[in-house]
Amino acid sequence: MKTLIISIAVAVATSVSAQAQSDQYKQAMGQALNTMQSHNEKSSTADLMASANQFERIAGVESNQWLPRYYAGLNYVYLGFLGKDEADKDKYLDQADVNLKAAEAVSPNNDELTILKAYIAQARMAVDPMNRWQQYGPLFQSALAKAKSLNVENPRAYVLEGSSLMYTPEQFGGGPGAACPVLKQANEKFASFKPASEFSPTWGQKQMEPLLAKCPK
Amino acid sequence: MKTLYFLAILLSATLSTSAQTMLAGRVTDQKGHALPGANVFLRGTYDGANTDSTGSFKFASSRQDTATLMVSYIGYESYSKKITLAANSPILVRLTETANELNTVVITAGSFEASDERRMTMLKPMDIVTTAGAGADITAAMNLLPGTQRVGEQTGLFVRGGSSEEAKVVIDGMIVQNPYFSSMPGLQSRGRFQPFMFKGTSFSTGGYSAQYGQALSSVLLLNTVDKTQNEGLSLSLNLANAALSYDHATEKSSVSATAYYGNLKPLFALVRQNIDWTHVPEFAGSSLTYRLQPTKTGMLKFYGMYSDSRLGMNFVDPSNETGKTAFRQQNRNFFTTSTYTDSWADGRWLLHSGLSYSYDTDATTFSAQNFGRSSERLQARAVLTRLLPGNNSFLFGTEGSRVTYQNAVSGTQYALHDNYGALFAESQTYLGRNLAVQLGLRGEYSSVINRFNLAPRLSMAYKTGVYSQVSLAYGQFYQTPDYRYLYRNENLNYERADHLILNYQLIKDKRTFRIETFYKNYAQLVREFTSQPGMPNYYDANPYRFPWGRTDNSGNGYAKGFDVFWRDQKSIRGLDYWVTYSYVDTKRLFQQYPVAATPTFISNHNISLIGKRYFDKISTSMGLTYTISSGRPYYNPNNELFLADRTPVVNNLSFSASHITRIKKNMVVLYATVDNILNTHNVYTYQYTPDAKTRYAVGPQSYRSFFVGGMIMLSKKAKVNVNEL
Repeated sequence: MKTLIISIAVAVATSVSAQAQSDQYKQAMGQALNTMQSHNEKSSTADLMASANQFERIAGVESNQWLPRYYAGLNYVYLGFLGKDEADKDKYLDQADVNLKAAEAVSPNNDELTILKAYIAQARMAVDPMNRWQQYGPLFQSALAKAKSLNVENPRAYVLEGSSLMYTPEQFGGGPGAACPVLKQANEKFASFKPASEFSPTWGQKQMEPLLAKCPK
Repeated sequence: MKTLYFLAILLSATLSTSAQTMLAGRVTDQKGHALPGANVFLRGTYDGANTDSTGSFKFASSRQDTATLMVSYIGYESYSKKITLAANSPILVRLTETANELNTVVITAGSFEASDERRMTMLKPMDIVTTAGAGADITAAMNLLPGTQRVGEQTGLFVRGGSSEEAKVVIDGMIVQNPYFSSMPGLQSRGRFQPFMFKGTSFSTGGYSAQYGQALSSVLLLNTVDKTQNEGLSLSLNLANAALSYDHATEKSSVSATAYYGNLKPLFALVRQNIDWTHVPEFAGSSLTYRLQPTKTGMLKFYGMYSDSRLGMNFVDPSNETGKTAFRQQNRNFFTTSTYTDSWADGRWLLHSGLSYSYDTDATTFSAQNFGRSSERLQARAVLTRLLPGNNSFLFGTEGSRVTYQNAVSGTQYALHDNYGALFAESQTYLGRNLAVQLGLRGEYSSVINRFNLAPRLSMAYKTGVYSQVSLAYGQFYQTPDYRYLYRNENLNYERADHLILNYQLIKDKRTFRIETFYKNYAQLVREFTSQPGMPNYYDANPYRFPWGRTDNSGNGYAKGFDVFWRDQKSIRGLDYWVTYSYVDTKRLFQQYPVAATPTFISNHNISLIGKRYFDKISTSMGLTYTISSGRPYYNPNNELFLADRTPVVNNLSFSASHITRIKKNMVVLYATVDNILNTHNVYTYQYTPDAKTRYAVGPQSYRSFFVGGMIMLSKKAKVNVNEL
């Protein structure tokens, strides 16, 4: 009798704590995502770093979740665009890579992580395009191709491709003529895209709007 | 009873969450400066905070007793410490910066790197291709760097008083037997290799690693790319040649193939030649590169090339009564190299190994006499590196080669075999972030002279500030004497040079300043005693002469000087320019020199000014290069003082432009260059007739010249970034 009671009690207690942890995860992620979504292109590096830290703290506890690492990495990509010089930008992008690797270990062949990989390559290239296109251009392309092969419906692959084309001059195969069809494709994909879970990535549409505005209607 | 148990459990749970401990403190660097934005948390919990602008943090935790406090901050070593949560005193954490390129000293004395792997380099691989006046030739680009001599009528690299034989070209660790197209009398030849093959170039002007030997002055290290950068077919056409290349890459492997045919007729029809050509240079060749990544860490590369070239000319020859001598040459060259690199134990052990074979033959005639020559080289190499904590490393390796030379001289056929073997070891030690020491030892054996040598090498670097450092390098370098001497005397010893180099550099915010001073001592140089009846001090100025005289190792010499490099990519928006100045003072007693003198290939002052700019609106890149070399010594039989005369100053202004456009969705690159815009009639050296009455000037193949060409990428996948050129 006693053992039965104890074992039931322990079972209940563990399930309670598991539930509690999950609630805690949800609460923490919800809060962290709220903070992150309050940021925009004018946010300071301190704000973005605080967000990255917040996700890294969650990742430290929830080692079997890829999303906290993903968002930490994403924040570091933003920081990579904002850094004050080459070394600074690379420092952030190194940390984006660390988070990407940790996330990939939890969830291999994940289209969102592959898109993040392309995003990091794009940010690396932006640091010093003249000398880096050779190294990171193919990396960007191959990551996008892989992301599409994993999930052809993910609009973010098309957002990155389209924005990259928009900023590439026409003589290199870029410009609105090349970018607009891709951006429109992204827009269509967004219409039918359903995030896999409540914390799954949803970014992209807002970033794309000013670019789409340049396209002929 | 049951409910009681439950209550107890629930109660204890709620009780524990209500007992919160406040943690507060500050995070700084080693000097006590606040680190805002650091991540402070307890391991395995959600409890944590970011530091504010003063480096302070504060957060509550429900954890009891002890916990592990973690602090992480980008660019700093992460910190962890077991703490007792009850204690209320503020927590002070000092973080240590992680080692990176900016805060760790790098050994740089004597080396000039162009690589993408290291971010803090003075040159990028792209700079080699985009420099005006270099003609997309690696050697020509290196000749614009400090420490080099520009010797217009000879082929190769002349570094800090050294002749071209003292500089070796190394691809992926393997010495290249014939890195340049065969030389022609009085003319410079290009390098055989396309700059785009290489991801990194390290040009050493002295004091280099124990990994390399058989070079008294310099090694040019070229590292091939790991993956093809284009995809699909591309076609290039210019005034001299047509080439077709194909690239294809999959995830694990890639292949690149090129075939070309060149003929200088169209160019020579447009650009006036100073040479009397009997067969305008014509060449054809092909190359194949295959790369395979068999495992996650392993990489296998194969490169093979074949080329065939032929030409004929009547060159200026004062020793001939007509003043001209007919020269014809057909060269066939085959070079193949394969390398395998791998790593184990999370990259703590690294292997670099390779095997290469080359064959080169020149069917050469001087005034219908056979001077044919050939060389063959088979070599193998393996290097193991062990990476140790704190950036320290240790490497050891071995290399061996078998070389065969053959040469026909005045109806006699000479042949020579050399089996060469070397062992080397090198350690790199960091005594903190500011001081690094590299210690190396190399032992060599050459069978043709049946001798050993043992050469120590030492390099050190000390960081003098956030952006500046000083480096020092010392080393002994040995080289087996030129095979032309060995044909007739196998009892010669190694030639030797000792290098001492001191370097200071400052890299800050896209501006680079570097100054280097050196002292080089030459010993055991081969001397040749030309005893001509009735002429005790006879000197044969013919550069194509064969050394018939008695030879020994009694030669010696020195070279000293300094050079300066300044590059600025920041001050003027859009403009990237650099300036180099090299000064060398050198004297040698070698070859058939009767007394110590400054060799004929030396100009004391060499200056180059290079600028380039990309014009966005017309998507065109333009560059200008201006070079000045002071006069060189030449042999004047009328002057009693040996090599006391100097040629005039040589200067050259060249321009290059490239434009990118699209034709039917295919990317097209068009380029044009003008060499010697000012049409200066440069003289490289003078040659005298045997009676010493008439002298001939040796100058460039053409004065002002131009070149145009283009490339089209016949592939939708071929994408190039805006800033490519």
